Amino acid sequence: MVHHHHHCKEKRPKFCINDHVDVLAEILKRLDGRSLCVAACVCRLWSALARNDSVWEHLCFRHLSPPPPSSVRPVVSALGGYRRLYMVCIRPVLSRLGRSRRAELPWRVRSREELQLSLSLFCVDYYERLGNGSGGGGSRFGDGSASASSSLMFLCKPVNV
Amino acid sequence: MGPFDPSSAAAAAAAAAAASSSSSSSCSGGSAPKRHHHHHHHHPPPDLDGLLAGAGYKVRSSELHHVAQRLERLETALVNSAAHIPHLASDAVHYNPSDLASWVDSMLSELPSSSFSSPCLPSGFPDPYSPAAAALGGGWVDHPSCSPHPQPHQNVVVPQQPQPQQQQQLTVVTALEEDSGIQLVHALMTCAESVQRGDASLAGSLVEEMRALLTRVDTSRGIGKVAGYFIDALGRRMLGLGSAPASAFENEVLYHHFYEACPYLKFAHFTANQAILEAFDGHDCVHVIDFNLMHGLQWPALIQALALRPRGPPLLRLTGIGPPSPDGRDALREIGLRLAELARSVNVRFAFRGVAASRLEDVKPWMLQVSPKEAVAVNSIMQLHRLLGSDPPRDPPIGSVLPWIRSLNPKIMTVAEQEANHNRPGFLDRFTEALYYYSTLFDSLEAACPVQPDKALAEMYLQREICNIVGCEGAARVERHEPLDRWRARLGRAGFRPLHLGSNAFKQASMLLTLFSTEGYSVEENEGCLTLCWHSRPLIAASAWQAAPTVVNSPAGVINHDDNNNQL
Repeated sequence: MVHHHHHCKEKRPKFCINDHVDVLAEILKRLDGRSLCVAACVCRLWSALARNDSVWEHLCFRHLSPPPPSSVRPVVSALGGYRRLYMVCIRPVLSRLGRSRRAELPWRVRSREELQLSLSLFCVDYYERLGNGSGGGGSRFGDGSASASSSLMFLCKPVNV
Repeated sequence: MGPFDPSSAAAAAAAAAAASSSSSSSCSGGSAPKRHHHHHHHHPPPDLDGLLAGAGYKVRSSELHHVAQRLERLETALVNSAAHIPHLASDAVHYNPSDLASWVDSMLSELPSSSFSSPCLPSGFPDPYSPAAAALGGGWVDHPSCSPHPQPHQNVVVPQQPQPQQQQQLTVVTALEEDSGIQLVHALMTCAESVQRGDASLAGSLVEEMRALLTRVDTSRGIGKVAGYFIDALGRRMLGLGSAPASAFENEVLYHHFYEACPYLKFAHFTANQAILEAFDGHDCVHVIDFNLMHGLQWPALIQALALRPRGPPLLRLTGIGPPSPDGRDALREIGLRLAELARSVNVRFAFRGVAASRLEDVKPWMLQVSPKEAVAVNSIMQLHRLLGSDPPRDPPIGSVLPWIRSLNPKIMTVAEQEANHNRPGFLDRFTEALYYYSTLFDSLEAACPVQPDKALAEMYLQREICNIVGCEGAARVERHEPLDRWRARLGRAGFRPLHLGSNAFKQASMLLTLFSTEGYSVEENEGCLTLCWHSRPLIAASAWQAAPTVVNSPAGVINHDDNNNQL
């Protein structure tokens, strides 16, 4: 940062990224999940941007070619949003699959099958949360341990490679 | 490779049945008598050990420990002094080979006085009430110069130097436990055989002995755990108790945890959904009939997949069949409401109908209200096998259910069944198959799901099946699993022909299995059907069927169009 005296007439404007929210958004869109979460801790503006679901949508499907059909977005939004989709399904799914493929980069949905599988699991997750949330239904399914999305717990367990 | 597989079991049974170490040990000389395998159908005199008597040796129970020690010393002597006592190897004549105690003593007395220390069981070792075979297991380990021979389930490390007393004790205990496992299996087979023969008293006493054996085995895993369940089931059968009655609520809870803990149900659901999705392509009114709704966990994924169909979602009707709820609560309707809410969220037009029936054969086609304009999918996850049993003289209900399914003219019928033959008429066959199958299943559960309480409840779910297979008969025995080939023949005769599950289903199933935190699962394709395997042992088979075209101009109406005359 170049320092200028206040009385200098031609002071060069300081560049602050926070003044250029659209540029910032473009940059954040290209981060991976972990970095995005770290970015969300910087300040309130960054936090708000990082929570924007479109950023996570970009993260989920950035390497999917051809890009997913437009019908996917309302479905994902209804089931909990892209950020949740990424955290609950895509990240663990791809880390497992990536581990089995060994050489490939993790965290990238490359094929429609992976997309479909992630969405299916996400839908089951939503359905189970419906059951846990509804009054009286929780005791039937949760057995007291009303952790949401118990059917996806297998994704949370450490992988025995 | 589970804790139990037939080839090693056969060898193990042979090893356990041998009263002396010589039949399976490479160390002993050839002086052991030929094993007499009398099939005693009467009880041995009470003071003789029962298990050894079954193998043809008469040994008093009180003398077992003594005989074991003597046999060990004999073995040691034979190996160490093989060069010095050739006469024992070739000239020994046994006039009464079944009297084990006396001929061992006589042979020992002929030996030169031992200049080496014979490794007897350490004196501090508790005297086990067990047949000589168990003590001999200790003998195998203790012997310094005995080359390790690969016994099934025995990774016996043989010390090359004389070990300190403690080490010997430890290795003896390990071998004892592994040996107890083999004995358990042998005892289970013997018990099952006596049940088949109708020998209730022998079976009963064997159950008691097995319970005692269980205390010496690790029952938290492996063969100990599975054997425990089978012993309980046999015990229940002896008492005429059958399987414990369970409420619908209990069933649901156990089912749910079974769904969580392992991939079998998920595999079945996802594979069936993929097939149904492909069959519904191009239809705008679709109707799915689920033979066992439970919590409806299969359907969210299908609803979501239909929502994302390129040309938009169809109108989806779901008819769920399930048991009636006891306390006035309409469980089926609650599930329907949940599914409807999900469908609404993703903009799929949805209608639900619940059919409460305690048995599948009570359902009549008119209850399902199938409309001729819609494409029908019938979904049966582990339900068809329940229709194979009946109390004579009635016929099994499968004969009436399959025709009415056929009469609905479904676009597709998805069937998932256990890949095992637990419906053989002979009890011993059934028992053996079940022991093998559930050992593999428990093995996979152990590896795939270390999380409690899911695992424990999933095991209870399986335990109920075991109790039913072993403990019940007639109409009460509902777990009549049959392998894929028999289902193919049966469905073929009923007017169905197979629909090949495509590569999409295969890929999806493979991906799903990769998500589970263990190697060992695999998907195999079997003439258009997919099977889920654990270390190449198939456990669950998923298949799809459609109504075969009927032959026109037949006076009888519908004729089963059988391309392949599969006779069972």
